[in-house]
Amino acid sequence: MTANTAVPVTAQAASPRPKSRRAGRATPWFFLAPFLAAFVAFFIAPVGYAVYLSLFIKKRVGVGPAREVFGGLSNYVRAFQDSDFLQSLAHILLFGVVQIPLMLLLATAMALILDAAKGSASKFFRTAFYLPYTVPSVIAGLLWGYLYSKNLSPFNQISGLKTDFLSSQLILFSIGNIVTWTWTGYNMITLYAALQNVPTDIYEAARIDGASNWQLARYVKLPLLRPTLTLTTIFSIIGTMQIFSEPFVLRPLGYVPDNITPNTYLYLTVARDSNFGYGAALAVLLAVFTLLLSGFFLRFAAEEGNT
Amino acid sequence: MLRRESFSPIQWLLLAVFTVYCLLPLWWVITTMFKDNGQLFSTFGLWFSAPSHLLENVRTLFTRQDGIFSRWLLNSVIYAGATALGSVMVSAMAGYAFSKFDFAAKRGLFTLILATIMVPSTALALPIYLLMQKTGLLNTYWAVILPGLVNPFGLYLMRLFWDAGFPKELMEAARIDGASEQTIFWSLGLPLVRGGLVTVGLFAFVGAWNNFFLPLVVVNSDTLYPLTLGLSVWNQTSASSGQEPIYTVIVLGALISVLPLLIAFLTLGRYWQGGLASGAVKG
Repeated sequence: MTANTAVPVTAQAASPRPKSRRAGRATPWFFLAPFLAAFVAFFIAPVGYAVYLSLFIKKRVGVGPAREVFGGLSNYVRAFQDSDFLQSLAHILLFGVVQIPLMLLLATAMALILDAAKGSASKFFRTAFYLPYTVPSVIAGLLWGYLYSKNLSPFNQISGLKTDFLSSQLILFSIGNIVTWTWTGYNMITLYAALQNVPTDIYEAARIDGASNWQLARYVKLPLLRPTLTLTTIFSIIGTMQIFSEPFVLRPLGYVPDNITPNTYLYLTVARDSNFGYGAALAVLLAVFTLLLSGFFLRFAAEEGNT
Repeated sequence: MLRRESFSPIQWLLLAVFTVYCLLPLWWVITTMFKDNGQLFSTFGLWFSAPSHLLENVRTLFTRQDGIFSRWLLNSVIYAGATALGSVMVSAMAGYAFSKFDFAAKRGLFTLILATIMVPSTALALPIYLLMQKTGLLNTYWAVILPGLVNPFGLYLMRLFWDAGFPKELMEAARIDGASEQTIFWSLGLPLVRGGLVTVGLFAFVGAWNNFFLPLVVVNSDTLYPLTLGLSVWNQTSASSGQEPIYTVIVLGALISVLPLLIAFLTLGRYWQGGLASGAVKG
C-alpha cells in the first residue's frame, strides 16, 4: 500500500485545510496505545522474563532450602542432555512429519472436490466438515478418549477386537487422529475459500484449451493453492508444536507418557518440581524450535516455487 | 460450464466417507447422552438404548457439586465474551492506526507483531503465570481475559478491513468539515467496518472459548474454571473418586459446551469464510 495521503484536488482547491484540524503526530499512538500496552504486558514482558529466568538454576546450599542462583546457560545444557525432553521433540517431529501432510492432503482433496461442483449439497458438506473445528480441543480429546476406551469403544464393538488405542504403540496415532479430525475441515475451508477467489476466466481459458477436470485440478488449481498451502502448513507446524490438551485429557484414560509432546513434558516437569528456571529454558527452546521449523519450511517453499 | 451441476459417483463416495468421519463422534454424543453408566458399557455405542436417562443426566449435570456446572458455563461466557469484545476494540484501534497513519517504525512494528504469531502461546504461559503471581492477578477473571487482548491475527485482519472499507478521502473530507479524530474513528469509521468487527470478534470468541492451557495455568479455584477445564477435571476425578463414574453426564456437558459455537458458526458462517479467505489470499 502507498503511504501518501492524496486528497481529491477539488476538495483541496475549495477549502485549504485548516492546520489545526490535521491529525497530530500523537493521533496514531493514541489508537495504538491499548494494543501496545497489552502487547508489552503479555508478550514482550513474559518473553523477556522467560529468557531472564532461564539463566537461573535451583541450588541447595548447605542444609537450607534450594535457592535460585545464576547459572548461565546451564539450564540449556541440561535440556540438551535431558533424554526425556529430546524424546518429546522426536515424538512431535515424527507426529508432524506424518500428520501434517496427511491432513493437508485430505483437506486439499476435499476442497478440490467441493470446488468442482456447485449446488446445495456442497454447502451441506462444507458445514459437516467444519463442525469438528467448533469442538474445543479438550472436548475433542475427551470424546475420542471414550471412543478409544477399550471397554466401550464402538470400533471394538463393531470389529469384535479388543484394540487398545491408548497403548504406548498407538497413542501417537490416536492423538494424530484427534488432531486430524479437528483441523482438516478448518484447513479445507481455507483452501476452498482461496479457490473461490480465483477469477473464473483462468478456468475458462484452461477449458477452451481442452483441459479435463483432472488436468484442471492438477495443473491449474493446485499451483494456485500454493501460497495458501504454505500458510496452512506454517500454521499447522505452529499448532503441532503446541499440542497439549489432547494428550493431557487422555492421561487419566490410558497409558500416556509425560513426554508425549514437549508441552506436556514442560507442564508436568514444572508442576512436579517447581523448577521455573528449567521450565523457562524449555519454553524458550520450544519457541526457538518453532521459529526455526517455520523458517526452514518458508525457505523450502520459496525455493520450490522458484524452480 | 466451469463447475458441473453435481459430483461424480467416486466424489460422492469420498465426500460421504469423510462426512461420516466428521460426524461420527457427534452422533456418539447424541446417543450417549440418553444412557446411564451401565448402558454406556453394555449397549452398542452408536445406537440408542432404552430406557432413557437423559433427564437424570441433565439433573446430575446441573446439581453435582452444588450446580457448579452452571458457574463454569457462565465463566466461559464471561471469558469468551470479554476477550472477544476487548480484543475487537483493541485490534480495531491498532488496525486503524496502521491503515490510516504514518508514524515512526511503523513497518518494523507491524512485522514484529505479526512474527509473534509463531511464538507458541504455551511457551508464554509459564512466565505469564509468574508475572501474574507477582502482580496479584493470579486466580482472577482478569488472568484469563487480559492475555487474550493481544491478538495479532485480529490486528492484521482489521488492518485489511480498514484498508478496504474506509477510504482516506472520506477521512479528509470529515476533517475539513471540522470533525475531531475521535469522531472520525468512532462515529464515521467503525460502522463502515462492522463486518470486520464481527469476523475478528468471532475468531477471538472461539479462541477464548476453546482455551484450556491458559486457565489451567493461571486459575486454581474451581469456581473460576471455564467449561473446558471443569469438564476435564471431572473426567480426571470421575475415574478415581470411588463413586459411580459420570461419563455420560460429562458427555452431555461436552455437548452443551459445544452448542454456543455451533450456533455462532451456523448463523454467522459467512463472516468465517470472509476472514479465512482474506487470511489465505493476503498471507
